[in-house]
Parts: sequence; structure tokens; C-alpha cells
Amino acid sequence: MRASRISTTAVALLAVVGAAAACQRGAVPAAPSDPRADAARLQRTNAQLQRQIELAAGREFYLVLDPKNAGLTLMLKGAPLQRFTVLGLQVGHPRAAWISERDPRHVQSVLWSGGELDPPRQIDRLVIQAAEPGQEAPESTPPPIPPTPEELYPVPSRYHVRFADGLSVEILPREADASVGRWAHARAAMAERWRDIFSALRTSGRDAIRLRITLDPKEAQSFYRSLPPAVRLIVLDGEVEPAQPAPAESGAGR
Amino acid sequence: MEPSPSLPTGSVRTEAASGPDAAARPSPAGPQPFPRGTRPAGRRVLLSRRAAAMAAGVLLLAAVPLAGTGYRYEPYAEQPLAVPNDVPSDARPLQQSTARLRGRQRVLAARLDALAPRGVYIVIDQTQNRLYLKRGHETLLQAVCSAGSGMVLRESGGKRREWVFDSPRGRFEVRTMLKNPVWRKPDWAFVEEGESIPTNPADRLDYGTLGEYALYFGDGFMIHGTLYERLLGRAVSHGCIRVGRDDLRKVWANARIGTQIYIY
Repeated sequence: MRASRISTTAVALLAVVGAAAACQRGAVPAAPSDPRADAARLQRTNAQLQRQIELAAGREFYLVLDPKNAGLTLMLKGAPLQRFTVLGLQVGHPRAAWISERDPRHVQSVLWSGGELDPPRQIDRLVIQAAEPGQEAPESTPPPIPPTPEELYPVPSRYHVRFADGLSVEILPREADASVGRWAHARAAMAERWRDIFSALRTSGRDAIRLRITLDPKEAQSFYRSLPPAVRLIVLDGEVEPAQPAPAESGAGR
Repeated sequence: MEPSPSLPTGSVRTEAASGPDAAARPSPAGPQPFPRGTRPAGRRVLLSRRAAAMAAGVLLLAAVPLAGTGYRYEPYAEQPLAVPNDVPSDARPLQQSTARLRGRQRVLAARLDALAPRGVYIVIDQTQNRLYLKRGHETLLQAVCSAGSGMVLRESGGKRREWVFDSPRGRFEVRTMLKNPVWRKPDWAFVEEGESIPTNPADRLDYGTLGEYALYFGDGFMIHGTLYERLLGRAVSHGCIRVGRDDLRKVWANARIGTQIYIY
């Protein structure tokens, strides 16, 4: 009797939670196709071109996210340097106790700046004190073979590029690294979950908008190792195309 | 006969019956008063079950808001199009406005296009030690190279100078192209070897170290060959970009004075 009362309460709670979640899903209004809408679209395209010119004329490295062509390209002064194939794109907003706190800005409408890797890529510098001229150098062993980039920079399973004003990009590999055990995956997922909870509960310095970009695992690693500091980002017009596996050659534009 | 614990008589009853106080068994007439200081096992079990249920309820209540805390992701959707007030609604002014916007778009697209590099350009990923020869979005060559090691060298005597062997980041251009280059060794090369810095400039010249070709791009940095091809793919240089012989020949064949070099 008591057990059935508890289960009824649980079902009711779940129903309330489900209803609340369903209420949060808002429909995206369809774009009209009348001449005024065309003019408005042109205005928007021009504003975006203007922003691209601003980026290309600047000194910083920048990322161009093109949802329509499923591409994320690292650029400098108008030159494409490296292209990554985007396999999935989502937008995340913080929520506390099922209540969403939706930032009014749209990811397309702003130029993202000051992007830094989180966790940062550590540079472990070797410091050598030179022997004084004429002095016999201390008995030296042959220099060790320097590590490869893969050995030098381990890449976390998922990571962020945090920009100014609470904008953030979360890079998610399409599938987990097979070389890492299940327990390590579960631990990483749990840690990530708690970080998300704490981040969502913070009132300042949190990710107000997150762009979750799914990449091929190798490209996700390459992106982490290659990303220069203080990068900027622009999101171009267009809906995201269905994810397609990267062609072997054009994967990273190499 | 006492009921067996395996019989479906209900656990409360079974435990009460098998407890030490046989008098605590409820009589058909209703519950009997218990002696002070004793609590029947049946009630204890009942209380502990109630406590467990309450704890489970509290946990559930705490878990529900926690489950709804974090980040909620939804598929990316393009920014909904809103028609601004300055877009005219009458047909003729609207046509004129659209034509003006199209003209502006062409100008902006041309301006953006003009900022992109013309012809072949060189891209160097200094973290992953890769060099690419590109034309637009097309990759003509992918080569393994060696970029700056990031090592710090400190001079012991003299001026106690310090050098950091990083490759530079940014856009550069080929300023000089040298065939069979001769390396004019800078001070750090002698300091690193524990040698005295020569006063005679001729003593600084080193033949053959830089390979067949060198493309100088400023501040003492070059793309050049190497004697240590086995170390390509690792960051071992003093800031220059070392390339293997065959790849260097291709870079040399495609590069010109003014070819853009992008290092990130």
C-alpha cells in the first residue's frame, strides 16, 4: 500500500518534470520568403560580410563556423589554414532546477573574441644553462629524443574554448577514444556533469551560451593541439546539414 | 509450530514470531501494552522502513532539481529572420532598396576576396610540425617539418642573455630565396656549444647545415633543409622551420619572393 503510494508520487513527479521539459522546447519561427524578407536577408548577409572583413583585416587568428557546409575553418587574414568537418552542432543554455536561462543573443549575431582553450595546452619549457666558454662541459649524456606532439600534448576527452562575455564552444569527439578504459570514461563523464551543474548554478563567469561541436576524434585532437591563443569566431548563416563522415582527404583540409 | 521464514506470511510477522519475546506477538484482540524500555522488533522494522522511504523520498526530491540543472542542448537553428523597420513596404522603394543591398553585397564580397592570399601560400602548424602548400582551399603538399622547440637557453658568463627558441606566429612573406645557403651562426649557436663568440665574421659561417635551399622570412627565421631528417615531426629547431629534402624541393619550386607564410 505504502509502496504503491510512493511509486504513484514518483510517477507524478516524473510527469511534472516531463511536462516542464516539454514546455521549454520552443518552436523556431520559419523564415518568410516575401520581398521584404529577401531585403532583410540581404541586410543580414551584408552585416555578416562586414564582420568577416573586420576579422580578415585584423591580426588575430579566427574560426569560421559554417553550419551549412559543416565546416569549422581556422583562418588568418583571409587565408584558410585548417578545416575541420563538423559532424554535429548544438546550442546549449544553462538551466537550474529545470528552469532555462536563455541568453537573448543569437550565436550568429555576435563576433566571439578572446577564445582560449580550457583546459589550456601546457607548454613545458626545457631550460638549459650554457657552460661558460672554455670550460669543460659537465659529463653529458646524449640528448633525449624530443617527444612527438601526441606525447607532448595529451588531449582531454572533451574540452572547451571559452570566449569573452560568457560564450563558449564545447568540442566533443564523435566517439570515445578506444584506448581509454570504460571506468575512465565514466569518471570523466561524471566530472563533466558536475562541472556543468556548478557552471549552470553560478551567477557570473559561467557559459551563458554554449556551442557544442562534434568532430571526428582525430580532428578533435588536432584542433586542441593546433588552436592558437586569443582566437575569434564567427558563425555564418545557414542551418546545419545532417552529419556526414569526413572524407579521408578533405578531413582537415590537408 | 512456528512459521518458517520462507513461508509467505509477511516478514514483519515472521520476524516478530521468531523474536526473543514471544509475548510480543499481537493477539487477535488487538495490541497489548509493552513493558517500559522495550520496543517490539516488528515496530522497529516498521520504523526503519518508514525512515528508509522518507530518505528515498528526500533523495528523489533532491535528485529531481539536480537532474534539471546543467546545460540543455538543442539542435542548432539559424537565427530567425526579423524584418527591420527600415525595410520599405511599398513595391518601388523596396525594389530600389534591394538593388542597393545587392550592390553593397557585391562590393563587400569583393573586398573580402581581396584580403585572401593570391596564388600559392605556405601554412605551418608549429604544434603538430606540419607544413602545407596551399592554393585557396586546395592543398598541394603536406609535409612533416620541425618547428621551434620552445627551449630556453641561458648564457652563463658575459651578458647573461637568454634565448627562447619559439617559432613566430602570424603572417609573413618570403623575402629572400637562397640556393645552397650558408648559415651565419648567431651568438646563441656558440653559447649553446659552450664556445667563445668569434670576433672574425668568417668564423661564423657554416656550410651545408641548412640543406639545399632556404626561404628567409625575417627576424632571422627561415624555412630550410636539415641534416637531421629523423627528427622531423618533432619540435627541435631554434625557431626556423626545418623540412626534409624532397619536400623542400617542392616548396622551393612553388614559392616566389612575396609568397605568404602563415604560422600558427
